[in-house]
Amino acid sequence: MKSSLYHLLFAAVLGAATLSFSACNDLLDPTPVQQLPDDQAITDASSARSATIGVYDRVQAYYQLNWPVLGFLPGENVRFNGTLNQFLQIDQNQLSADNVLITEAWTQMYQAVNGANNVLAALPGLSDPLLTATEKNQLLGEAYFLRALVYFDLGRGWGGVPLVLTPTRTKENGRGIRRSTLAQTYDQVLADLTQAEALLPEAATRNRAVKAAARALRARLHLYRQQWTEAEAYATQVISSSNYGLVTPYRAISTAPFLSRESVFELTFSNSDANTMWNNWFPSALGGQFNFQPVPAAIALLNDPTVGGNRSALLATTVIAGSNVTYGNLYSRSAQRDDPSYVLRLAEQYLIRAEARAKQGKLTDALADLNAVRARAGVPASTAATADALLLAIEDERRVEFAFEADRWFDLVRTGRAGAVLGVTDQRRWVFPLPFNDLVADPDLEQNPGY
Amino acid sequence: MKSSTLLAVPAVVAGLAPASFAQTAASAVTGTIVDATDRSPLPGVTVVVKGTTVGASTGPDGSFSLTLPPGSTTLTISAVGYESQTVAATGGPINVALKADVKQLSEVVVTGYSEQNRKTLTSAISSVKGDALKDIPAASPDQLLQGKAPGVQVSANSGVPGGGVFIRIRGSNSVNASNDPLYVVDGVFINNTNLIATGLGNQVSSNPLADINPQDIESIEILKDANATAIYGSRGANGVVLITTKRGKAGDKTRITFNTYHGWSKAPKQYELVSGPELAQLENERFLNDGGNPAQLPYRSVASGGRGLPEEQQTYDRLSDVFRTAQTQSYELSAAGGSAKTQFYVGGGYFRQESIARPTNFDRFSLRVNLDNSVTDRLRIGTSTALTRTHRNVSSNDNNPVGVINSALFPRTNLPIYNPDGTYAKYGSFDNHQALIDNLNNDAVGSRVISNVYGQYQFGKHLTLRSSWSIDFNDMYENNFNNTLILAGQPRGTATSFLSRDITLLNEQTLNYSVDFGENHSLQALVGNTIQKNTFQRTSLSGQQFPSNDLTSIASAATQTGSSSRSQAGLLSFFGKATYSFKQRYTADVSLRADASSRFGADNRWGYFPAVGLGWRLSEEEFIKNLNVFQELKLRGSVGKTGNQAGISDFAARGLVQGGANYLDLPGTTPLQLANPNLSWESTRQWNVGLDAAVLQSRLLLELNYYDKYTSGLLLNVPVPRKTGFASVVENYGAVSNKGFEVQLTANWLPSASAVQWSTTFNVARNVNRIEKLAAPITSGSRDIFRLEEGAPLYSFWLYHQTGVNSETGDAQYQDVNGDGQLSVADRKLVGNAWPDYFGGVTNSVTYKGLDFGFTLNFEQGAKIMNMNRFFLVHGGTQSNIGYLREQLDRWQKPGDQTDIPRLTTNPASNNYGGVVQNLSDRYLEDGSFLRLRTLSLGYTVPKEVAAKAHLNSLRLYVQATNLLTITPYSGIDPEVNSQSGVANTKNIDWATVPQPRTFQVGITVGL
Repeated sequence: MKSSLYHLLFAAVLGAATLSFSACNDLLDPTPVQQLPDDQAITDASSARSATIGVYDRVQAYYQLNWPVLGFLPGENVRFNGTLNQFLQIDQNQLSADNVLITEAWTQMYQAVNGANNVLAALPGLSDPLLTATEKNQLLGEAYFLRALVYFDLGRGWGGVPLVLTPTRTKENGRGIRRSTLAQTYDQVLADLTQAEALLPEAATRNRAVKAAARALRARLHLYRQQWTEAEAYATQVISSSNYGLVTPYRAISTAPFLSRESVFELTFSNSDANTMWNNWFPSALGGQFNFQPVPAAIALLNDPTVGGNRSALLATTVIAGSNVTYGNLYSRSAQRDDPSYVLRLAEQYLIRAEARAKQGKLTDALADLNAVRARAGVPASTAATADALLLAIEDERRVEFAFEADRWFDLVRTGRAGAVLGVTDQRRWVFPLPFNDLVADPDLEQNPGY
Repeated sequence: MKSSTLLAVPAVVAGLAPASFAQTAASAVTGTIVDATDRSPLPGVTVVVKGTTVGASTGPDGSFSLTLPPGSTTLTISAVGYESQTVAATGGPINVALKADVKQLSEVVVTGYSEQNRKTLTSAISSVKGDALKDIPAASPDQLLQGKAPGVQVSANSGVPGGGVFIRIRGSNSVNASNDPLYVVDGVFINNTNLIATGLGNQVSSNPLADINPQDIESIEILKDANATAIYGSRGANGVVLITTKRGKAGDKTRITFNTYHGWSKAPKQYELVSGPELAQLENERFLNDGGNPAQLPYRSVASGGRGLPEEQQTYDRLSDVFRTAQTQSYELSAAGGSAKTQFYVGGGYFRQESIARPTNFDRFSLRVNLDNSVTDRLRIGTSTALTRTHRNVSSNDNNPVGVINSALFPRTNLPIYNPDGTYAKYGSFDNHQALIDNLNNDAVGSRVISNVYGQYQFGKHLTLRSSWSIDFNDMYENNFNNTLILAGQPRGTATSFLSRDITLLNEQTLNYSVDFGENHSLQALVGNTIQKNTFQRTSLSGQQFPSNDLTSIASAATQTGSSSRSQAGLLSFFGKATYSFKQRYTADVSLRADASSRFGADNRWGYFPAVGLGWRLSEEEFIKNLNVFQELKLRGSVGKTGNQAGISDFAARGLVQGGANYLDLPGTTPLQLANPNLSWESTRQWNVGLDAAVLQSRLLLELNYYDKYTSGLLLNVPVPRKTGFASVVENYGAVSNKGFEVQLTANWLPSASAVQWSTTFNVARNVNRIEKLAAPITSGSRDIFRLEEGAPLYSFWLYHQTGVNSETGDAQYQDVNGDGQLSVADRKLVGNAWPDYFGGVTNSVTYKGLDFGFTLNFEQGAKIMNMNRFFLVHGGTQSNIGYLREQLDRWQKPGDQTDIPRLTTNPASNNYGGVVQNLSDRYLEDGSFLRLRTLSLGYTVPKEVAAKAHLNSLRLYVQATNLLTITPYSGIDPEVNSQSGVANTKNIDWATVPQPRTFQVGITVGL
């Protein structure tokens, strides 16, 4: 017995020793089941599609909360009613470089850029019979469009930014790329949009990029660059497309199943890819956190039949502890969590064209565009008679039309009116600070003055 | 009563010489030997007639009898683990109580893969006996070490039972990799990863060590220096905690022990909030300070459209609903014993502890079987197996606005708890605390098997081969249902379910060679290998929209989504060590371990971790002996290198793209991390010098250590320019050092023969942590409150430094660090850190006959705490949905006021509570020093005769108070707090956290 036991033990030890060598490779080289090596990410039709979808996902990431917040909260329609100081800073136009929301948005946006750069770099050389030339063009066009959108947003948020156009494989990639000027940034947006428009399909898809989405963004780009004729021309192309029309009532834009005829580009969410923006708007009695609260002045405007008209649907009221509480209701799908993020709407194209026309002295046409938007909202037509009156009417119209979307702040900065309207007289504060953390990590970066 | 076996035989053969028989009147002596502490009978005690070889050993009932040779009247009584005693045999029965041997210096300590006599030890190892731990009403053994071992900093993150514990052995070596020590239970490297996936306000939700029943523990050894830990190589850098559980002893009568206690706990202190009228006054004042129209005060009469006058406001107390008198129960039944061939220990326990904050509970069933069998003279097999089932009813606090404490603490005190219609009223981001208490339904059930089987074969006299196979199987099954009455369940009910599984398989061979050459030389050598594989997997499900609040299973949900994840890592190691000792006077140790980890690229996979240690017992040298001062005097020194790879992801070295970046319900991929094929081990070089001394007949013992650790090649998330699309990459970059000393002093105040026994152990340690090298500063924690900078310690707070409040304007003034005349982020600076300057503890014990009295103290001096409760509740009006602490009443009101609380205002330009400063003022950073009476106990062991009448072997009753007294300048509820334990590189944030309870308990230990 003794010797058999001894043999048993010896066999166990021997077995273990053998195991340790033969299983060594298995043990020390496990294969990840949840990730792919980065150089094998785009190898065929299916992975190319997934990589493109991944870019949408990153754009969704910054448009879900951070970008709309940076658009409406510095404006005067909404006040911050929660506990997080980073939001309070934005509300009070007192941004500092350590604002964590700024850092997060900046990071997400460059993640989207890198995703797009990966698609743009890998796709041209890819040959897979399952990937038709048409689809390849579409995917490339989408990547160009999304990169253009991000760089446009970066430009209007921070001014000129570093233009990274190739995928990152090591941390050295991008070294030496300094901030470009705002004009250079917008030039890059234009170049990407030109490519996108050429490559994208002519279709009425509203939650993926098509030619009209590229044109609509281009109209906005020209507006921001005060290139009035181009802005008018591109807005006209979108407005005249039979795929788009203003919908009535106003609430139809934000009514499920969404993707209304008015929508040129919106980011769709679903219960498994949830948009929890409603949670920031609903009072806690309705399950939200009530972080964003429409201010009385905005409530009055939206409820004014001559100003808001049926845009009063942006508000809702509930009774809490015996008194009425009004809250923002644009993002309202608390159960389904599928509120979209609105990026490009036809109403904006009308107002872009109205402004571009007014700037060119085409006052009648401009007024017609403005009144198209007003008519849809069920408010009386504007009678603005001078260019200045018209421009002010357009500005006011935007305030209510895009009350809770990513617009007001950028609009007032663009027109140079942020000082007059919001009291932000220090023009250095009309751009966001670059994240303090990134300045420390990136010797090529330079902070915006005043921060 | 039976005569001794081992000693009696030679006694007859050799000791009782025929000549003795010739003399007259050899007298018989009988007696009983018991344990001095619990009065239990001690079997196997050697009783020898002094100056002869005549002797006996005690039987299972502690009794002996022998025949006293004529002329001899003195007996020497000795037993392993006890102090020897000499007594006079005066005719009657001899009853002796033996005291446990507290002379640490002569004990055997468990070291990595072997045991060593403390005399020849060259390493820094602290030992804590299980007896010192067993009555403390805490769920996990690591928490029991608080204040017991020098250089081991232990603090509970919160008062949640079974919750996380912050433990650091000689400071923090690492930034991104783990800083937790390695835990080895009976040779099994156990998982120490929290498996609870339910988010609980950034608090580590569970402590996996709570799966181990403290009552099963025989001893805990803490390996601190490199010489002790290098044998654990890449796992050893943060120190190693070896837990040895109880085993049966050969020749022992089966001893059955029943141990139980019951405790009642309360919060030692409560938050002090303003009353409703005070809140209204503050709000009105804030309104006026902001330039409001005095006719439009928010709190004016209802008739004029206001919310009622201040004095009309009600005050609602929410906190009393949350905090309760919580109960703790513990029951433990064990049996230990064995024959010459087979020894066993079996134990079963049930422990239940309520949190003092509703509705959290923890309970644990545990079973343990430890078996050893000598199959032949040479072959020994055995097992150590523990099964545990834990159940936690978890709830969120800390950094979660819908946490229970948050929802009671933060809402304004003048707002009613219920709406007029009787429904739960909710304000701002907060839930209703009572709704949470009534409806929270978060269950986490853990199942744990830690098991090891071994076979050990002895070749010849000196060589032993041991092979052991172990598994640590840890499973956590969570089911959460949020009904529509709480915010998390909006709008129609939500539920999540997680099944998480963490499995470590370990195989290990060691070949041990031990030999004494002649009298002077001894050599102990060991070689071995281990193969370790760890897999982690998690399946999660969630459901939204439930038909009713009574249908709580995800099967009932309208929308159901699921996910799963899996990851694995392997570690292959070879190791060896040797100890040579000359006359037990000079000792030298060497060890080496080679580890290969799957987490690194093929070229950087192997790490080599050597160590050497030297010991010199001066007390064995004639020139010291001649001084006649030292019973022990030893110098020790060691140097070595250990490694770390814990805490980084299993595939950290690879450039990866991940799935799950979906859009339109189509699958998407997105870049996850940058590759770093050069990634390799983080390594820690440590040297240690130490001194052990015993003086005054070993009544005063001293242990000193000084160490210096330098960790380089940190596994660091090095920030990269974000324009690359990444925020950081894991690199071996940077260095951290820890230097410090440890002192332990043990005093036995009275001679060992006196009836009263009184001993005191005092320990104190200092650790200085410093980031030696860093690519760029890194911020961490909520609001980037912490910042890592070269030259500063980890856990440094990065805030604006308030210099005062202008007594004319009432506005806060901050230090303009860069002197540019304006306040910007560049004026934030490191204003302190969460490290104590000194920490330690005192253990005191007094026994007299059956009475025992003891207390333990522990202290930390100089650590800072960021009090987020004040951050939020002293907000000057900027938080429209949050009430105020009474401290806000001390605000500046009129010119001339001297205070550090600025005037109430929401105006950002003042930076009082918002603006650029965002309230990130060091006004809320406090001194967290404390001295705490951790336990105070009084016990009585019933005399054996009395116990025997009740047919019991032994009986002890005791009462104990825990956390009875805390002396601290800290204004919060509890200075032992770490609310953001789940967030890397943060410590000492106080944020709506459950405090350490004050507990009174009664207990009884019965020997059957």
